[in-house]
Amino acid sequence: MNTQALGVEHYLAGMRAALDDLPPAEVAEIMEDVEAHVAELSTELGENETLEQRLGPPERYAQELRQAAGYPPRTERLPVTTKKPLVTRPRAAAWGLAIATGITLLVGASTLREPVFLLLLPAVILVLSLALVHDRGPAQAEIMDLPETRRIQQWLTPEEGTPAERAITYLKSLQPAWWLARAVLLGLAAVLLAGRDIPGFLFLAAIAVISVFAGPRAKVDRRWLWFSLPASALAVGLVFQVVDVVANNLAYNTSRQSYPAPMVETYENIYAYDENGKLLTNVLLYDQDGNPINASRQYYGCNGSGPEPMIPANRYPRPKIDYENGTCYTVAPSVSAPSSTPSTPPSSSGSAPSSSVAPTSVSPSK
Amino acid sequence: MDTSQLLKGVLDLAVLAVLRKDDGYGYDVVRRLRAGGLNDVGDASVYGTLRRLYNAGLLTSYVVPSEEGPHRKYYSINETGRARLAESRETWRSFASTLDGLLEEVAA
Repeated sequence: MNTQALGVEHYLAGMRAALDDLPPAEVAEIMEDVEAHVAELSTELGENETLEQRLGPPERYAQELRQAAGYPPRTERLPVTTKKPLVTRPRAAAWGLAIATGITLLVGASTLREPVFLLLLPAVILVLSLALVHDRGPAQAEIMDLPETRRIQQWLTPEEGTPAERAITYLKSLQPAWWLARAVLLGLAAVLLAGRDIPGFLFLAAIAVISVFAGPRAKVDRRWLWFSLPASALAVGLVFQVVDVVANNLAYNTSRQSYPAPMVETYENIYAYDENGKLLTNVLLYDQDGNPINASRQYYGCNGSGPEPMIPANRYPRPKIDYENGTCYTVAPSVSAPSSTPSTPPSSSGSAPSSSVAPTSVSPSK
Repeated sequence: MDTSQLLKGVLDLAVLAVLRKDDGYGYDVVRRLRAGGLNDVGDASVYGTLRRLYNAGLLTSYVVPSEEGPHRKYYSINETGRARLAESRETWRSFASTLDGLLEEVAA
Protein backbone atom coordinates (compact mmCIF):
# COMPACT_ATOMS: atom_id res chain seq x y z
CA MET A 1 0.00 0.00 0.00
CA ASN A 2 2.63 2.50 1.05
CA THR A 3 5.13 1.56 -1.61
CA GLN A 4 2.35 1.82 -4.17
CA ALA A 5 1.42 5.28 -2.89
CA LEU A 6 5.06 6.27 -3.13
CA GLY A 7 5.18 4.94 -6.68
CA VAL A 8 2.16 7.05 -7.60
CA GLU A 9 3.70 10.18 -6.07
CA HIS A 10 6.99 9.55 -7.80
CA TYR A 11 5.29 9.03 -11.14
CA LEU A 12 3.17 12.18 -10.79
CA ALA A 13 6.22 14.23 -9.78
CA GLY A 14 7.96 13.04 -12.94
CA MET A 15 4.93 14.06 -14.99
CA ARG A 16 4.78 17.49 -13.41
CA ALA A 17 8.45 18.07 -14.07
CA ALA A 18 8.00 17.10 -17.72
CA LEU A 19 5.09 19.52 -18.13
CA ASP A 20 6.37 22.44 -16.09
CA ASP A 21 6.95 24.70 -19.08
CA LEU A 22 3.18 24.84 -19.74
CA PRO A 23 0.88 27.41 -18.13
CA PRO A 24 0.25 26.41 -14.49
CA ALA A 25 -3.54 26.43 -14.92
CA GLU A 26 -3.28 23.99 -17.80
CA VAL A 27 -0.86 21.76 -15.91
CA ALA A 28 -3.30 21.73 -12.99
CA GLU A 29 -6.09 20.55 -15.30
CA ILE A 30 -3.93 17.86 -16.85
CA MET A 31 -2.70 16.63 -13.50
CA GLU A 32 -6.26 16.38 -12.26
CA ASP A 33 -6.98 13.87 -14.98
CA VAL A 34 -3.68 12.09 -14.64
CA GLU A 35 -3.81 11.77 -10.85
CA ALA A 36 -7.14 9.95 -11.04
CA HIS A 37 -5.81 7.81 -13.87
CA VAL A 38 -2.59 6.80 -12.16
CA ALA A 39 -4.39 6.19 -8.85
CA GLU A 40 -6.91 3.92 -10.54
CA LEU A 41 -4.25 2.08 -12.50
CA SER A 42 -2.14 1.53 -9.41
CA THR A 43 -4.98 -0.45 -7.82
CA GLU A 44 -5.06 -2.72 -10.90
CA LEU A 45 -1.34 -3.43 -10.81
CA GLY A 46 -0.30 -6.97 -10.09
CA GLU A 47 2.41 -8.04 -7.66
CA ASN A 48 5.81 -6.62 -8.56
CA GLU A 49 4.29 -4.64 -11.41
CA THR A 50 5.17 -0.98 -11.50
CA LEU A 51 3.45 1.99 -13.04
CA GLU A 52 6.43 2.45 -15.33
CA GLN A 53 5.95 -1.04 -16.74
CA ARG A 54 2.29 -0.35 -17.42
CA LEU A 55 2.46 3.23 -18.66
CA GLY A 56 6.05 3.75 -19.66
CA PRO A 57 8.27 6.34 -17.99
CA PRO A 58 6.49 9.54 -16.91
CA GLU A 59 8.50 11.56 -19.44
CA ARG A 60 7.19 9.46 -22.32
CA TYR A 61 3.64 9.61 -20.97
CA ALA A 62 3.96 13.40 -20.79
CA GLN A 63 5.42 13.52 -24.28
CA GLU A 64 2.58 11.47 -25.77
CA LEU A 65 0.00 13.59 -23.95
CA ARG A 66 1.58 16.80 -25.19
CA GLN A 67 1.46 15.59 -28.75
CA ALA A 68 -2.16 14.49 -28.55
CA ALA A 69 -3.19 17.68 -26.79
CA GLY A 70 -1.43 19.84 -29.36
CA TYR A 71 0.90 21.54 -26.87
CA PRO A 72 4.23 22.77 -28.14
CA PRO A 73 7.07 20.30 -27.63
CA ARG A 74 9.17 20.83 -24.59
CA THR A 75 11.85 23.35 -25.45
CA GLU A 76 14.53 23.37 -22.81
CA ARG A 77 15.00 21.38 -19.67
CA LEU A 78 15.18 23.87 -16.84
CA PRO A 79 16.96 22.97 -13.63
CA VAL A 80 13.65 23.59 -11.92
CA THR A 81 14.00 21.55 -8.77
CA THR A 82 16.98 23.49 -7.48
CA LYS A 83 16.06 26.97 -8.64
CA LYS A 84 12.45 26.96 -7.48
CA PRO A 85 11.80 30.05 -5.34
CA LEU A 86 10.88 29.41 -1.73
CA VAL A 87 7.81 31.64 -1.82
CA THR A 88 5.59 30.49 -4.65
CA ARG A 89 2.00 31.50 -5.24
CA PRO A 90 0.58 28.17 -4.03
CA ARG A 91 2.69 28.33 -0.90
CA ALA A 92 1.68 31.93 -0.15
CA ALA A 93 -1.95 30.98 -0.71
CA ALA A 94 -1.73 27.94 1.56
CA TRP A 95 -0.12 29.94 4.34
CA GLY A 96 -2.60 32.75 3.84
CA LEU A 97 -5.39 30.25 4.32
CA ALA A 98 -3.75 28.81 7.44
CA ILE A 99 -3.07 32.22 8.99
CA ALA A 100 -6.54 33.55 8.20
CA THR A 101 -8.07 30.43 9.72
CA GLY A 102 -6.01 30.95 12.89
CA ILE A 103 -7.03 34.59 13.17
CA THR A 104 -10.65 33.64 12.62
CA LEU A 105 -10.40 31.15 15.46
CA LEU A 106 -9.08 33.87 17.80
CA VAL A 107 -11.66 36.42 16.69
CA GLY A 108 -14.36 33.77 16.91
CA ALA A 109 -13.51 33.20 20.55
CA SER A 110 -14.34 36.84 21.24
CA THR A 111 -16.92 37.67 18.57
CA LEU A 112 -19.77 38.43 20.93
CA ARG A 113 -17.62 40.81 22.97
CA GLU A 114 -15.44 42.37 20.29
CA PRO A 115 -16.72 44.09 17.16
CA VAL A 116 -17.42 41.67 14.33
CA PHE A 117 -15.55 43.85 11.83
CA LEU A 118 -12.34 42.30 13.20
CA LEU A 119 -13.31 39.41 10.93
CA LEU A 120 -12.58 41.65 7.96
CA LEU A 121 -8.85 41.08 8.51
CA PRO A 122 -8.95 37.32 7.89
CA ALA A 123 -11.52 37.93 5.15
CA VAL A 124 -9.10 40.17 3.29
CA ILE A 125 -6.26 37.64 3.69
CA LEU A 126 -8.54 34.90 2.37
CA VAL A 127 -9.61 36.85 -0.68
CA LEU A 128 -6.02 37.79 -1.53
CA SER A 129 -4.63 34.29 -1.02
CA LEU A 130 -7.43 32.68 -3.02
CA ALA A 131 -6.87 35.18 -5.81
CA LEU A 132 -3.29 33.86 -6.05
CA VAL A 133 -4.38 30.32 -6.91
CA HIS A 134 -7.92 30.64 -8.18
CA ASP A 135 -6.82 29.92 -11.74
CA ARG A 136 -5.08 26.69 -10.70
CA GLY A 137 -8.26 24.64 -10.83
CA PRO A 138 -10.48 22.89 -8.31
CA ALA A 139 -7.94 20.23 -7.32
CA GLN A 140 -5.20 22.72 -6.30
CA ALA A 141 -2.64 20.04 -7.06
CA GLU A 142 0.29 22.40 -6.51
CA ILE A 143 -0.82 23.20 -2.98
CA MET A 144 -1.46 19.53 -2.26
CA ASP A 145 2.08 18.93 -3.50
CA LEU A 146 3.80 21.32 -1.06
CA PRO A 147 5.99 19.54 1.51
CA GLU A 148 3.95 21.05 4.36
CA THR A 149 0.60 19.88 2.97
CA ARG A 150 2.13 16.49 2.15
CA ARG A 151 3.06 16.11 5.77
CA ILE A 152 -0.48 16.96 6.90
CA GLN A 153 -1.87 14.45 4.40
CA GLN A 154 0.51 11.77 5.63
CA TRP A 155 -0.51 12.54 9.17
CA LEU A 156 -4.20 12.28 8.23
CA THR A 157 -3.78 8.95 6.44
CA PRO A 158 -2.27 6.50 8.91
CA GLU A 159 -1.68 2.84 8.14
CA GLU A 160 -4.86 0.93 7.47
CA GLY A 161 -6.26 -1.00 10.42
CA THR A 162 -4.61 1.10 13.12
CA PRO A 163 -6.79 2.78 15.77
CA ALA A 164 -5.77 6.18 14.40
CA GLU A 165 -6.99 5.21 10.96
CA ARG A 166 -10.32 4.00 12.37
CA ALA A 167 -10.71 7.21 14.40
CA ILE A 168 -10.07 9.39 11.36
CA THR A 169 -12.50 7.34 9.26
CA TYR A 170 -15.12 7.76 11.97
CA LEU A 171 -14.52 11.52 12.21
CA LYS A 172 -14.80 11.80 8.44
CA SER A 173 -18.20 10.12 8.61
CA LEU A 174 -19.30 12.86 11.02
CA GLN A 175 -18.43 15.61 8.56
CA PRO A 176 -21.98 16.28 7.27
CA ALA A 177 -23.20 16.51 10.88
CA TRP A 178 -20.46 19.05 11.59
CA TRP A 179 -21.48 21.15 8.58
CA LEU A 180 -24.98 21.32 10.04
CA ALA A 181 -23.76 22.03 13.59
CA ARG A 182 -21.46 24.72 12.22
CA ALA A 183 -24.35 26.45 10.46
CA VAL A 184 -26.47 26.28 13.64
CA LEU A 185 -23.65 27.71 15.80
CA LEU A 186 -23.00 30.56 13.36
CA GLY A 187 -26.74 31.22 13.09
CA LEU A 188 -27.09 31.39 16.87
CA ALA A 189 -24.19 33.84 17.10
CA ALA A 190 -25.84 35.95 14.41
CA VAL A 191 -29.10 35.98 16.36
CA LEU A 192 -27.28 37.04 19.54
CA LEU A 193 -25.78 39.95 17.62
CA ALA A 194 -29.04 40.98 15.97
CA GLY A 195 -30.04 43.34 18.76
CA ARG A 196 -26.96 45.55 18.77
CA ASP A 197 -24.97 45.03 15.58
CA ILE A 198 -27.00 44.78 12.38
CA PRO A 199 -24.03 44.60 9.94
CA GLY A 200 -22.43 41.95 12.17
CA PHE A 201 -25.70 40.05 12.22
CA LEU A 202 -25.99 40.12 8.43
CA PHE A 203 -22.33 39.11 8.03
CA LEU A 204 -22.59 36.11 10.37
CA ALA A 205 -25.98 35.08 9.00
CA ALA A 206 -24.58 35.09 5.46
CA ILE A 207 -21.61 32.97 6.57
CA ALA A 208 -24.00 30.56 8.31
CA VAL A 209 -26.12 30.11 5.19
CA ILE A 210 -23.20 29.78 2.75
CA SER A 211 -21.41 27.37 5.10
CA VAL A 212 -24.15 24.79 4.51
CA PHE A 213 -23.21 24.64 0.84
CA ALA A 214 -19.50 25.22 1.33
CA GLY A 215 -18.89 21.91 3.14
CA PRO A 216 -19.96 19.55 0.37
CA ARG A 217 -18.65 21.91 -2.34
CA ALA A 218 -15.17 21.88 -0.81
CA LYS A 219 -15.08 18.10 -1.30
CA VAL A 220 -15.27 18.65 -5.06
CA ASP A 221 -13.58 22.00 -5.42
CA ARG A 222 -10.77 22.67 -2.96
CA ARG A 223 -11.09 26.42 -3.56
CA TRP A 224 -14.14 26.29 -1.31
CA LEU A 225 -11.74 25.47 1.55
CA TRP A 226 -11.00 29.21 1.62
CA PHE A 227 -14.52 29.59 2.93
CA SER A 228 -15.14 26.29 4.68
CA LEU A 229 -12.03 26.14 6.88
CA PRO A 230 -12.37 29.64 8.38
CA ALA A 231 -16.11 29.07 8.86
CA SER A 232 -15.26 25.99 10.92
CA ALA A 233 -12.66 27.96 12.87
CA LEU A 234 -15.24 30.65 13.60
CA ALA A 235 -17.72 28.07 14.85
CA VAL A 236 -15.07 26.40 17.04
CA GLY A 237 -14.09 29.83 18.39
CA LEU A 238 -17.72 30.46 19.31
CA VAL A 239 -17.81 27.16 21.21
CA PHE A 240 -14.66 28.20 23.10
CA GLN A 241 -16.31 31.48 23.96
CA VAL A 242 -19.44 29.83 25.30
CA VAL A 243 -17.31 27.48 27.41
CA ASP A 244 -15.27 30.46 28.67
CA VAL A 245 -18.36 32.46 29.65
CA VAL A 246 -19.95 29.51 31.44
CA ALA A 247 -16.70 28.70 33.28
CA ASN A 248 -16.30 32.32 34.34
CA ASN A 249 -19.83 32.46 35.69
CA LEU A 250 -19.28 29.28 37.68
CA ALA A 251 -15.99 30.59 39.08
CA TYR A 252 -17.60 33.92 39.96
CA ASN A 253 -20.44 32.25 41.82
CA THR A 254 -18.12 30.02 43.86
CA SER A 255 -15.78 32.85 44.71
CA ARG A 256 -18.66 34.96 45.96
CA GLN A 257 -19.72 32.18 48.25
CA SER A 258 -16.35 31.37 49.74
CA TYR A 259 -14.84 34.83 50.09
CA PRO A 260 -17.27 37.26 51.68
CA ALA A 261 -16.12 40.83 51.54
CA PRO A 262 -14.68 42.03 54.90
CA MET A 263 -16.82 44.44 56.88
CA VAL A 264 -15.48 47.93 56.63
CA GLU A 265 -16.17 50.09 59.62
CA THR A 266 -15.69 53.76 59.47
CA TYR A 267 -15.41 56.10 62.37
CA GLU A 268 -16.25 59.71 62.00
CA ASN A 269 -15.46 60.77 65.49
CA ILE A 270 -14.30 59.33 68.84
CA TYR A 271 -15.58 60.30 72.26
CA ALA A 272 -13.62 59.52 75.40
CA TYR A 273 -15.22 59.51 78.87
CA ASP A 274 -13.59 59.21 82.23
CA GLU A 275 -14.83 56.77 84.86
CA ASN A 276 -17.26 59.35 86.16
CA GLY A 277 -18.94 59.65 82.83
CA LYS A 278 -17.42 62.98 82.07
CA LEU A 279 -16.70 63.66 78.37
CA LEU A 280 -13.00 64.30 77.88
CA THR A 281 -11.97 66.86 75.31
CA ASN A 282 -8.68 67.39 73.46
CA VAL A 283 -7.68 63.75 73.86
CA LEU A 284 -4.78 62.66 71.64
CA LEU A 285 -4.88 59.00 70.61
CA TYR A 286 -1.84 56.91 69.55
CA ASP A 287 -1.29 53.24 68.85
CA GLN A 288 1.47 51.04 70.29
CA ASP A 289 4.00 52.37 67.79
CA GLY A 290 3.27 55.96 68.52
CA ASN A 291 1.40 56.53 65.32
CA PRO A 292 -1.61 58.83 65.61
CA ILE A 293 -4.96 57.10 65.38
CA ASN A 294 -6.93 59.08 62.91
CA ALA A 295 -10.57 58.65 62.20
CA SER A 296 -10.80 57.56 58.64
CA ARG A 297 -12.49 60.55 57.17
CA GLN A 298 -10.80 63.70 56.08
CA TYR A 299 -11.58 66.31 58.60
CA TYR A 300 -11.16 70.02 58.90
CA GLY A 301 -10.40 71.93 62.00
CA CYS A 302 -11.41 75.40 62.98
CA ASN A 303 -9.16 78.41 63.12
CA GLY A 304 -11.80 81.06 62.89
CA SER A 305 -11.31 82.03 59.27
CA GLY A 306 -12.52 78.81 57.63
CA PRO A 307 -12.11 75.06 57.33
CA GLU A 308 -8.60 73.77 56.91
CA PRO A 309 -6.91 70.46 57.78
CA MET A 310 -6.94 70.01 61.53
CA ILE A 311 -3.57 69.46 63.17
CA PRO A 312 -3.17 67.13 64.87
CA ALA A 313 -5.78 64.93 63.22
CA ASN A 314 -5.86 62.52 66.15
CA ARG A 315 -7.38 65.02 68.59
CA TYR A 316 -10.82 63.92 69.73
CA PRO A 317 -13.62 64.59 69.80
CA ARG A 318 -13.35 66.38 66.53
CA PRO A 319 -15.24 69.59 66.27
CA LYS A 320 -18.07 70.14 63.87
CA ILE A 321 -18.11 73.13 61.66
CA ASP A 322 -21.24 75.12 61.11
CA TYR A 323 -20.57 76.48 57.67
CA GLU A 324 -23.52 78.83 57.71
CA ASN A 325 -22.50 80.72 60.80
CA GLY A 326 -18.77 80.11 60.60
CA THR A 327 -18.59 78.70 64.10
CA CYS A 328 -17.03 75.56 65.53
CA TYR A 329 -18.48 73.31 68.18
CA THR A 330 -18.02 69.83 69.53
CA VAL A 331 -20.90 67.65 68.67
CA ALA A 332 -22.46 65.62 71.44
CA PRO A 333 -22.33 61.84 71.13
CA SER A 334 -25.46 59.81 70.82
CA VAL A 335 -28.21 59.94 73.43
CA SER A 336 -27.17 56.60 74.84
CA ALA A 337 -23.89 57.99 76.09
CA PRO A 338 -23.40 58.24 79.83
CA SER A 339 -24.70 61.39 81.43
CA SER A 340 -22.55 64.18 80.19
CA THR A 341 -22.61 67.68 78.99
CA PRO A 342 -20.86 68.81 75.84
CA SER A 343 -18.02 71.15 76.58
CA THR A 344 -19.16 73.53 73.91
CA PRO A 345 -22.88 73.55 73.48
CA PRO A 346 -24.11 73.72 69.92
CA SER A 347 -24.64 77.26 68.89
CA SER A 348 -26.91 76.55 66.00
CA SER A 349 -28.18 73.02 66.30
CA GLY A 350 -30.91 73.65 63.76
CA SER A 351 -28.64 73.99 60.76
CA ALA A 352 -26.26 71.17 61.70
CA PRO A 353 -27.71 67.78 60.81
CA SER A 354 -26.67 65.72 63.76
CA SER A 355 -27.29 62.46 61.99
CA SER A 356 -24.27 62.90 59.77
CA VAL A 357 -21.95 63.42 62.70
CA ALA A 358 -23.31 61.72 65.78
CA PRO A 359 -21.76 58.25 66.21
CA THR A 360 -25.07 56.52 66.54
CA SER A 361 -23.92 53.25 65.05
CA VAL A 362 -20.69 53.06 66.98
CA SER A 363 -21.63 54.01 70.41
CA PRO A 364 -18.76 54.68 72.81
CA SER A 365 -20.80 53.03 75.54
CA LYS A 366 -20.18 49.67 73.98
CA MET B 1 0.30 -1.45 -41.21
CA ASP B 2 0.74 0.32 -37.90
CA THR B 3 -2.72 1.35 -36.77
CA SER B 4 -1.36 3.88 -34.29
CA GLN B 5 -0.45 6.15 -37.21
CA LEU B 6 -4.01 5.91 -38.56
CA LEU B 7 -5.43 6.45 -35.11
CA LYS B 8 -3.76 9.82 -34.70
CA GLY B 9 -5.97 11.39 -37.34
CA VAL B 10 -9.23 10.01 -36.06
CA LEU B 11 -8.82 9.91 -32.30
CA ASP B 12 -10.82 13.14 -31.97
CA LEU B 13 -13.72 11.53 -33.77
CA ALA B 14 -13.46 8.34 -31.71
CA VAL B 15 -13.38 10.20 -28.39
CA LEU B 16 -16.34 12.38 -29.31
CA ALA B 17 -18.19 9.26 -30.40
CA VAL B 18 -17.78 7.39 -27.11
CA LEU B 19 -18.87 10.49 -25.17
CA ARG B 20 -21.95 10.93 -27.37
CA LYS B 21 -24.29 9.01 -25.05
CA ASP B 22 -22.70 9.15 -21.59
CA ASP B 23 -20.28 11.48 -19.85
CA GLY B 24 -17.06 9.87 -18.79
CA TYR B 25 -13.78 10.49 -16.97
CA GLY B 26 -10.45 9.89 -18.67
CA TYR B 27 -9.96 6.24 -17.87
CA ASP B 28 -13.62 5.59 -18.73
CA VAL B 29 -12.99 6.92 -22.20
CA VAL B 30 -9.87 4.75 -22.56
CA ARG B 31 -11.87 1.67 -21.57
CA ARG B 32 -14.73 2.47 -23.95
CA LEU B 33 -12.33 2.94 -26.86
CA ARG B 34 -10.62 -0.38 -26.09
CA ALA B 35 -13.97 -2.12 -25.64
CA GLY B 36 -14.92 -0.72 -29.05
CA GLY B 37 -11.91 -2.43 -30.61
CA LEU B 38 -9.19 0.26 -30.53
CA ASN B 39 -6.80 -1.90 -28.53
CA ASP B 40 -3.70 0.09 -29.39
CA VAL B 41 -4.95 3.40 -28.12
CA GLY B 42 -2.50 4.93 -25.66
CA ASP B 43 -3.71 6.24 -22.30
CA ALA B 44 -1.72 9.45 -22.63
CA SER B 45 -3.03 10.08 -26.15
CA VAL B 46 -6.60 9.85 -24.92
CA TYR B 47 -5.93 12.23 -22.03
CA GLY B 48 -4.20 14.65 -24.37
CA THR B 49 -7.06 14.45 -26.86
CA LEU B 50 -9.58 15.16 -24.09
CA ARG B 51 -7.62 18.28 -23.14
CA ARG B 52 -7.44 19.45 -26.73
CA LEU B 53 -11.17 18.92 -27.34
CA TYR B 54 -11.90 20.67 -24.07
CA ASN B 55 -9.68 23.65 -24.93
CA ALA B 56 -11.34 23.80 -28.35
CA GLY B 57 -14.71 24.22 -26.60
CA LEU B 58 -16.18 20.90 -27.75
CA LEU B 59 -16.34 19.38 -24.26
CA THR B 60 -17.27 20.62 -20.82
CA SER B 61 -15.99 19.13 -17.57
CA TYR B 62 -17.12 18.72 -13.99
CA VAL B 63 -15.54 17.10 -10.95
CA VAL B 64 -17.10 14.25 -8.98
CA PRO B 65 -15.60 13.47 -5.56
CA SER B 66 -14.44 9.97 -4.90
CA GLU B 67 -14.48 8.28 -1.51
CA GLU B 68 -11.08 6.73 -2.08
CA GLY B 69 -8.48 8.40 -4.20
CA PRO B 70 -8.48 11.69 -6.07
CA HIS B 71 -11.53 13.35 -7.62
CA ARG B 72 -12.67 12.26 -11.04
CA LYS B 73 -13.06 14.85 -13.73
CA TYR B 74 -15.90 13.94 -16.03
CA TYR B 75 -16.08 15.22 -19.58
CA SER B 76 -19.32 15.70 -21.43
CA ILE B 77 -19.95 16.67 -25.02
CA ASN B 78 -21.71 19.98 -25.66
CA GLU B 79 -23.67 21.26 -28.67
CA THR B 80 -20.54 22.46 -30.45
CA GLY B 81 -19.03 19.03 -29.87
CA ARG B 82 -22.09 17.28 -31.28
CA ALA B 83 -21.99 19.47 -34.38
CA ARG B 84 -18.31 18.69 -34.84
CA LEU B 85 -19.00 14.97 -34.36
CA ALA B 86 -21.70 15.00 -37.07
CA GLU B 87 -19.46 16.95 -39.44
CA SER B 88 -16.42 14.71 -38.81
CA ARG B 89 -18.51 11.62 -39.29
CA GLU B 90 -19.52 12.80 -42.77
CA THR B 91 -15.92 13.60 -43.60
CA TRP B 92 -14.79 10.20 -42.37
CA ARG B 93 -17.49 8.34 -44.31
CA SER B 94 -16.73 10.02 -47.57
CA PHE B 95 -12.99 9.56 -46.98
CA ALA B 96 -13.47 5.90 -46.07
CA SER B 97 -15.64 5.20 -49.12
CA THR B 98 -13.13 6.98 -51.34
CA LEU B 99 -10.36 4.85 -49.94
CA ASP B 100 -12.52 1.72 -50.24
CA GLY B 101 -13.04 2.55 -53.91
CA LEU B 102 -9.32 2.98 -54.43
CA LEU B 103 -8.61 -0.33 -52.70
CA GLU B 104 -11.26 -2.12 -54.83
CA GLU B 105 -9.56 -0.87 -57.97
CA VAL B 106 -6.23 -2.13 -56.69
CA ALA B 107 -7.74 -5.53 -55.89
CA ALA B 108 -9.51 -5.79 -59.23
